[in-house]
Amino acid sequence: MNVTLAVKQYVSKMIESSGPGMKVLLMDKETTSIVSVVYTQSEILQKEVYLFERIDSPNRDSMKHLKAICYLRPTKENVEHLIQELRRPKYSVYFIYFSNVISKSEVKALAEADEQEVVAEMQEFYGDFIAVNPHVFSLNLSGVARGRSWEPSMLGRTTQGLTSVLLALKKCPMIRYQLSSDMAKRLAESVKQIITKEYELFDFRKTEVPPLLLILDRNDDAITPLLNQWTYQAMVHELLGLNNNRIDLSRVPGISKDLREVVLSAENDEFYANNLYLNFGEIGTNIRNLMEDFQKKKPKDQQKLESISDMKAFVENYPQFKKMSGHVSKHVTVVGELSRLVSERCLMEVSEVEQELACQNDHSNAQQMVRRLLQHPRVCDLDAARLVMLYALRYEKHSNNILSSLMDDLQRKGVSERNRKMIQSVVEYGGKRVRGSDLITPTDAVAITKQFFKGLKGVENVYTQHQPLLHDTLDQLIKGRLKDSQFPYLGPSSLRDRPQDIIVFIIGGATYEEALAVYNLNRTMPGVRIVLGGTTIHNTTSFLEEVRSASSGGQSEHPQGMGRNPTRR
Amino acid sequence: MASSYPPPLEGSAEVKEGFLCPLCLKDLQSFYQLQDHYEEEHSGEERHVRGQIKSLVQKAKKAKDKLLKRDGEERNETSYESFYCGGVDPYMWEPQELGATKSHLDLFKKHRAERIDHYVIEVNKRLIRLEKLTSFDRTNMDAGKIRAMEKSVVAWVNDSDVPFCPDCGGKFNIRNRRHHCRLCGSIMCRKCMEYVPLPLAYKLTSGNRDGLSAPAGSPGQKESSGGSLVPSLPRRGSISSLSSVSSVLEERDDDRIRCCHHCMDTLLKRQEKLEEKDHVPDIVKLYEKLRLCMDKVNEKAPEYIRMAESLNAGETTYNLDTAGGLRMEVQKYYELIDALSKRILTLGLKEEPSPRPKTLQLQKMVRYSATLFVQEKLLGLMSLPTKDKYEELKEQRKEELERRLQQERQAQKRRSEVERSRPTPNTNGEVPTAARAPCMTKAGGWLPSSDTLHTRQLDDPLLQQIDNIQSFLRQARAAGRMDEATVLEENLRQLQDEYDLQQTSRAIELSKRQAEEESLQQEQLAHLELKERERGEWQEKEREGWEWREKEQGGGGGGEEEEQAAVEEEEDKTYTLARLSTSPPRAASIKSFPPLGESPPTASDQALSLNPFDDEDSTPVEEDASNPFAEDIQKEQRAAVANGRKEYNPFEEEEEEEEDGVETKKKTPVSGNPFEDDEDDGARHLFREAKASTPPEAAKNPFDEDEDDASAACEIIEEELLRQQIDNIRAYIFDAKQNGRADEVELLSENLRELQHTLQEQKRKAT
Repeated sequence: MNVTLAVKQYVSKMIESSGPGMKVLLMDKETTSIVSVVYTQSEILQKEVYLFERIDSPNRDSMKHLKAICYLRPTKENVEHLIQELRRPKYSVYFIYFSNVISKSEVKALAEADEQEVVAEMQEFYGDFIAVNPHVFSLNLSGVARGRSWEPSMLGRTTQGLTSVLLALKKCPMIRYQLSSDMAKRLAESVKQIITKEYELFDFRKTEVPPLLLILDRNDDAITPLLNQWTYQAMVHELLGLNNNRIDLSRVPGISKDLREVVLSAENDEFYANNLYLNFGEIGTNIRNLMEDFQKKKPKDQQKLESISDMKAFVENYPQFKKMSGHVSKHVTVVGELSRLVSERCLMEVSEVEQELACQNDHSNAQQMVRRLLQHPRVCDLDAARLVMLYALRYEKHSNNILSSLMDDLQRKGVSERNRKMIQSVVEYGGKRVRGSDLITPTDAVAITKQFFKGLKGVENVYTQHQPLLHDTLDQLIKGRLKDSQFPYLGPSSLRDRPQDIIVFIIGGATYEEALAVYNLNRTMPGVRIVLGGTTIHNTTSFLEEVRSASSGGQSEHPQGMGRNPTRR
Repeated sequence: MASSYPPPLEGSAEVKEGFLCPLCLKDLQSFYQLQDHYEEEHSGEERHVRGQIKSLVQKAKKAKDKLLKRDGEERNETSYESFYCGGVDPYMWEPQELGATKSHLDLFKKHRAERIDHYVIEVNKRLIRLEKLTSFDRTNMDAGKIRAMEKSVVAWVNDSDVPFCPDCGGKFNIRNRRHHCRLCGSIMCRKCMEYVPLPLAYKLTSGNRDGLSAPAGSPGQKESSGGSLVPSLPRRGSISSLSSVSSVLEERDDDRIRCCHHCMDTLLKRQEKLEEKDHVPDIVKLYEKLRLCMDKVNEKAPEYIRMAESLNAGETTYNLDTAGGLRMEVQKYYELIDALSKRILTLGLKEEPSPRPKTLQLQKMVRYSATLFVQEKLLGLMSLPTKDKYEELKEQRKEELERRLQQERQAQKRRSEVERSRPTPNTNGEVPTAARAPCMTKAGGWLPSSDTLHTRQLDDPLLQQIDNIQSFLRQARAAGRMDEATVLEENLRQLQDEYDLQQTSRAIELSKRQAEEESLQQEQLAHLELKERERGEWQEKEREGWEWREKEQGGGGGGEEEEQAAVEEEEDKTYTLARLSTSPPRAASIKSFPPLGESPPTASDQALSLNPFDDEDSTPVEEDASNPFAEDIQKEQRAAVANGRKEYNPFEEEEEEEEDGVETKKKTPVSGNPFEDDEDDGARHLFREAKASTPPEAAKNPFDEDEDDASAACEIIEEELLRQQIDNIRAYIFDAKQNGRADEVELLSENLRELQHTLQEQKRKAT
């Protein structure tokens, strides 16, 4: 159930089975991201892979002394490129791996192109997804919806991605989906269809309790992606944008050249792995410790290494020191930039109100706080707009709704027309009308009492009081209390036992806050393993893009990848 | 892995080992501390001890069962769906098998085979025609005749059938004339036509006609023309087309054969293949050498590190010189790797058509990975102790051993006192076993089937031992360790013989014992009172000592009424102790002893420490019963070491330790004797002497012999250290240069200079 490991194993298997010798890895755009997320360059260098080439790049040099390992998605273009490649092979041997199911006719076409008999292997290795964390995967697809239904090409790609996750983890699951979403139902059926069609592939050893695939729609919880985050990974993504575990820091003022783009990978960065899910305050402390540690180890600039023992100590610490210095400067830069943005945009105040809006039920207090912040000069347009969005979602049906006057405030503040329009779009996307679950006001007695107790106990941390809806959904699922009326099974059979292996997929994108919630569930629930996936991993900006493209009926196509925060200076 | 174990003992998140208090599971660093702790914290709890212990035993058992189950699953490699209890960090999720795959290779090959047959025929047809076309002397032949010959090779397509050039679509007319491909007979225009130069033709067909001598060019010429073939072709075409404007018909194909570009394509591909077949680029040759060196390093470096670790710990397992030699060897390989990768980096840089960017990138990457390799491995290469440092280390180690010995002896003395006091029987004897049960299991050895300890249906220790061995045997068989099984079988046989023997003697002694028991009990009571008073005074205590203490406390609590069974139970106790020292997994608890290297002696100590206890036993009955048993212990122990060794291999540090154990075992006369006769100082002196005398012999260093000249030796050692430092610093300079940190380079090279200077001075002094 570890998606990172699954992809890693696929890749290392590919490389191992090609034998010794210099190798080149031939990939397409998407497989490049897939591989680069799980492997660092130096790791893969150790496996004798020295070059990385894109199959679609023209004028690749012929290097007959290299073995080529091709890892490609089985798209039409890739197959065509590959046919051309085989007609005039540039490398000595080809080991071809497709990341998904390829048709027999395409295999035939490739075989006929291989006149020089250079192909030594052709297999399907189902790593057709981005393994963000061991328990989180993404497909890096944005703009999957057109209104309330699928963008046609995206349904196919999403199905492929999701089935490849199932194959990589060797799970043939029962499927539940969110009834209120037509897209969820379509995807569930589509996945089921593939499972039926490729029944031979899905013929895994039966487990006592079959695994479960739960398909949800983002529109059930539009609040989570609108909140500011305070855990390291989520915060970095919210404020700086995390794309395939990379952050682009080129806009940070006074950034040094080798820190323009940094990689945050829990696989080989211990500090990151330990602090991924800690909140900003804790990270501050930890980074200070890291710095102090580093200071101790760092030899003083002009420190004379007087005695031999001095020298010995220096020499022995040298490699450690070198490795450390890389991590230290990286994290110090990132955390420094985060804290700069926090103070510049008054994110503490903003976040407090956001959490208040999301979690409390006090309209008059909420409206006052929103009002007050809208007057605040340092609150940026995006934050102002999303406060109003949260208000609009939260008190959509409230009798004393003051949305229109807030909208006036926004206009007076100078928030652009485009952003103001988004408020309506968000309400259309995730408002009460479309929601299937009780995101805001709990209806059943248990939930009401729970909330009551929560209120009694008080809040530990005002900035992190929000729990994503997903947490409750999964909690109920694990306890066997998730209602069949809201999340029906696809097909006649249903699960009698409590589920053990769960794969949750959110159409329209997951968030790192949800990743954290799943991580905590994994840690606290005995015997349960949960993997979270989404068409992408959202921050507020990319989520708003998603909403915009959905509400514009797919008229404006958005390029893949994460949006960048436009308001950052 | 360790942290993915389920919490076996009430929420303690990991399997604890070492000196755990059996009551509160607090981890204490040494047994002294443990003892102190126990006396302070739990002295008042004696009355509840038994109940607590019972629950502990049960808990431990549960944990043991779980762990065992897990072990079994690991062996069968079914870890994927393995049992699971308690939530776990996703990073800790157990390893999973490779995801699903599907191979299309068979289908692919089938289709390819069909196609290849067709393709090969086409190529061969062309080659045969080419051979025919080049088989006559073109230069001295009339153009018309050539044409006729050419026409006879392949049927030319009718001119009237082809009104347009099939390749470019141009219309044929008087100015744009038709041309025939000599290889397939098809028609094309001048622009689309290509020529096969004769040298190429000869080369291509040379495989087909070995016997014929190549008339046109010597092999050297062929090579050169073949090499420059591709770029020269169009040029030639354009020149000829210019000249042919005036006289189209007079054009002679003396040194070339016209063909269409399809045919040309096939021929070129064929040529490429021929060239590749026997051409190995330099980079490949160098790269192969590089990999060879890397393999060698991977092979030797761990060996060296093992040696260096052992030497640095002051052990005498390895010779300092051999290690030094190995170090030199490994370092030479590093230099070789460095040199080779440097050559790869600069390959072809000076040649005229400078290499393509991708080639350069490849070379750079190879170099980079070699640098990474050197950095990673070389910097992990610890330095050896210098000669006198080594001596010092050895001395330290010896002292350590000495100290332990001292402790042992004290513990023994105390134990014998305790022995005389003869505490009452109890199940408390099990406490240590129970507390350690989890860590034992972790070591992965065999365990006696769990009920033997607790239920005690067999009252004879030998019978229990037999039973245990049988259960070991079962487990070993189940795990398919036949070698261990045979050892165990042998043990079993010996034990059974022993048991038979014992039974007979037993019957005789039984009556004697009855009489003795009475007086013994009196003695015990007296001693117990004495002990109670003395309790606070015992400061330096051994593990065994503590265990005995335990029992005594338990005995003090509720033992009186059980005294009747004293002698009977005494045997059990002995047995429990024996089990402690003998059961294979014990080594895991050895691990928790502070000085790692010393564990093997401990193992023997324990066995031996039992002996005095047996000896001091005043009752002849006991002696009779336990002496053979002691033998058995030793046997078992040997088996344990053997077992343990197999078990431990995966853990490297322990391997080290185990190997050491074997080493010590070989020297049993040396290491065993001094421990056994603790009064016999002579034996120990002998031991010390032996130790002291080995290094000079082994070292065979002329400098070592004149030990009175200490300063000279000292300087020489200094020099060695300096040399090593210089080596290291060079490595760092290299590394720093690699990463372009000029400031560091400067700093380092300054250091280097200083070092070299010192070295030279020293040399001068020495001479």
